[in-house]
Amino acid sequence: MSDKKQVLLDIRNLRIEGYTGEEWVPIIKGVDLKLHRGEVMGLIGESGAGKSTIGAAAMGFARDGTRISEGSIEFDGMELTTASEAEKRALRGSRIAYVAQSAAASFNPAHKIIDQHTEAPLHYRIQKRLEAQEDAMDLYERLRLPNPKEIGFRYPHQVSGGQLQRAMTAMAMACRPDLIIFDEPTTALDVTTQIEVLAAIRDIVDQFNTAAIYITHDLAVVAQMADTIKVLLKGEEVEQAPTEEMLQSPREDYTKSLWAVRSYQRPQQSRPEGEKPVISVQHVDAAYTGGVKVLDDVSFDIYRGMTVAVVGESGSGKSTAARCITGLLPPSKGQVLSNGEPLPPNYLNRSKDQLRQVQMIYQMADTALNPKVRISEIIGRPAQFYSGLRGADLKHRVDELLDLIELDPSKFYNRYPPELSGGQKQRIGIARALAAEPSFIICDEVTSALDQLVAEGILKLLDRLQKELDLAYMFITHDLATVRAIADEVVVMQNGKVVEQGPKDEMFTPPHHPYTDLLLSSVPEMDPNWLTTLLEERGVENVGEAADV
Amino acid sequence: MSVFVIIYFACLIASSCLAAYYEKRPTFLTLFSLTLISFVLGIVGGVPALRFVATAAGLLAFAAGISFAFREFIVIIAPANISKEVRTAPLTAAFGMFVIFTYAIAGIFAPWIAPYGESEVIASAFAMPDENMLLGADQLGRDMFSRIIYGARNTVGLALLATLAAFFMGAFAGLLAATKGGWFDQFMGRFADVIMSIPSLIFALLMLSIFGPQVTVIIVAVAIIYAPRVFRLTRAVAGNVVVMDYIEAAKLRGEKTWYLIRKEILPNSTAPLIAEFGLEFCFVFLLVAGLSFLGLGIQPPTADWGSMVRENATMISFGEITPLIPAAAIALLTVAVNFVVDWMLFRSSGLKE
Repeated sequence: MSDKKQVLLDIRNLRIEGYTGEEWVPIIKGVDLKLHRGEVMGLIGESGAGKSTIGAAAMGFARDGTRISEGSIEFDGMELTTASEAEKRALRGSRIAYVAQSAAASFNPAHKIIDQHTEAPLHYRIQKRLEAQEDAMDLYERLRLPNPKEIGFRYPHQVSGGQLQRAMTAMAMACRPDLIIFDEPTTALDVTTQIEVLAAIRDIVDQFNTAAIYITHDLAVVAQMADTIKVLLKGEEVEQAPTEEMLQSPREDYTKSLWAVRSYQRPQQSRPEGEKPVISVQHVDAAYTGGVKVLDDVSFDIYRGMTVAVVGESGSGKSTAARCITGLLPPSKGQVLSNGEPLPPNYLNRSKDQLRQVQMIYQMADTALNPKVRISEIIGRPAQFYSGLRGADLKHRVDELLDLIELDPSKFYNRYPPELSGGQKQRIGIARALAAEPSFIICDEVTSALDQLVAEGILKLLDRLQKELDLAYMFITHDLATVRAIADEVVVMQNGKVVEQGPKDEMFTPPHHPYTDLLLSSVPEMDPNWLTTLLEERGVENVGEAADV
Repeated sequence: MSVFVIIYFACLIASSCLAAYYEKRPTFLTLFSLTLISFVLGIVGGVPALRFVATAAGLLAFAAGISFAFREFIVIIAPANISKEVRTAPLTAAFGMFVIFTYAIAGIFAPWIAPYGESEVIASAFAMPDENMLLGADQLGRDMFSRIIYGARNTVGLALLATLAAFFMGAFAGLLAATKGGWFDQFMGRFADVIMSIPSLIFALLMLSIFGPQVTVIIVAVAIIYAPRVFRLTRAVAGNVVVMDYIEAAKLRGEKTWYLIRKEILPNSTAPLIAEFGLEFCFVFLLVAGLSFLGLGIQPPTADWGSMVRENATMISFGEITPLIPAAAIALLTVAVNFVVDWMLFRSSGLKE
């Protein structure tokens, strides 16, 4: 395109500092960014790399507790660092728009979607109300939302997460901005839903020739969306290149390590002969009080030393199955056996030893560890509670556990969880589960809140512990890359039913159950043409319905 | 033009220039606008108006100085983790802490500080201040200053005991309700609603007229009135904690309710509770003072700020400030406690710039 050459956003030597309560520390250490009209740039990096901070800075905005200390941000010839609040406010919403990670949290639940959509055009007097509403419906149609004429008159909680994310993209488009900032718009979505949103975003950005900054930590996603990719690490640029070039020949070691993460895989194991399964879930039905049935005749076995991955979209009943095994939600039908012995359905009726056998590692290490309790006590308590260890014995055991999870006991013994990084917290969560000396551990999305490199470390650790301690894992996840890396057997769940189960190798080779096929094909691949090819295969018009199978 | 006026303006202008030189923008603006306002004030109100401004500014500076010094003092003598927190405290909070500290000293060492006994008649009624009596005498000829000092012990002590009682009852019930949940939670909640539906002053008056105005009755009555508020706050705060995964992990480990409350929930709910303690203390203090004013609180001849206001109230029509002194003592403590509470609320809410 001819106007592609025109520079829309020019950030030079941007430095941003954050206040820690005592001093200002640098967050962004001199980043340059040049974005042309109609260009889509992907910003990737681990958490703390400063992706979102740069995204906000592109609107001339510094979040609370941060300040732009140096550099210039020029948007279409206008210097934003020195512009007044009123001038910047006039830009935001009309010429620069922002799409946040969680659409559910960004929409006001008290107003209809279309009313929120038309707010900006009415405020800037670009359109009259009726005009704006018609335009909104047009955008909904282009974004392939079902019932575009009607969907806007619903409240945010009445539509699904993927639809809401698309409605938010439509809202960002309302004033036909020159630049949209997408801050992890699909991270909170299931793979199948993610596809619809990605396709919709890509089309609409293309149609209106809008420039965009696409922030994500998922390489495969950014490969589909961006023309150029910029890799960030700790507030500094690592490298920038056009997407194809970046994927084929990354220059820097850090970028190469990011690319390599997904290659980790361990050999598959088969079931031990002549043993009873450590945990056997038999024909379990479950429902929440007065509500819908969430589990329907679910059965699977988990053997000693093996990892069973339970996969499915959110709402498929993966976590509910885990709650039934732990006894938090007594099943309404069926039973759970441990080494052939039935477990009491309610955890309150289980003996100390039965409780000890089943341990859990949580998704959010932040909420899984009491922030006001020292590491030594978090890990020490189960050991003390179950084995009655005290004094020097207890300290010795805690040190042993810390060694096991590859953290230095002398450094971590007396610290509190908030002082640790995400990966370290997750390791403490693992140590707490190990302290009970269980035979079976439920891992509930343990890596999904972590950066890829950190997640890989956790997976390797879990794998090593499994070999050393002969543990059985139930691995709940929606990330098929994780399944490929660590699982021995796979259970695919949909709407509370087990759709398909079997050894991993079989599951990953066709023929599949149609739902398994949909899940597998929805996982983004590094190939930048993957989305286009996939949409052609499925038929573009059907992408929405395909996900609702 | 008196010497005072010349010094007054000289000081203002010199300090404005200093502030401007060291690029202290807000200070300079304040000082220089004060200078400009002083021109008008001087013309309209004359020297007395300027004297008033100077006194007020002097008092403020004095209070700020004391607060600053007191904060530095705490930072130096306190252990490392506390002094780190105190260093970030605003001057208002330091001032509040200083006032509370002073009241505590006055209350604890009352018999040694007060020159006379609290019910000792030493002069004629409403005698003027002299070198024996710092603040003059009350309606029976007792030393006002001694009674203020003893009042700190009686009134503040009573309010503190009542607040503590209310807190133990309310917080324990709230934690238990949040942890147990189900019908127990419902029952406690509705029970608290019932107590809260009775107007507090009427309830206190009722209790005191049935059981007589003894100290224990006052404490119990006030504790019952304020416990439901504490209960509701604690339950709400603990309610947010019990849904955390670490509570689930502890439950699945087989921990008992008491362990859950003590080790897992309480440490994560203390910050808002401490802030609430300060606020409730002010309300309790005012209620106790109000009861005394109505004659149902602490009984004479025991010194108490609330009843001192009432007993000396007639003096106000003669232009005497005597009845205002205990009232000011109440006001100062309330303000001081609120300063400290504001700071704690700020810290616990995690609102940072």
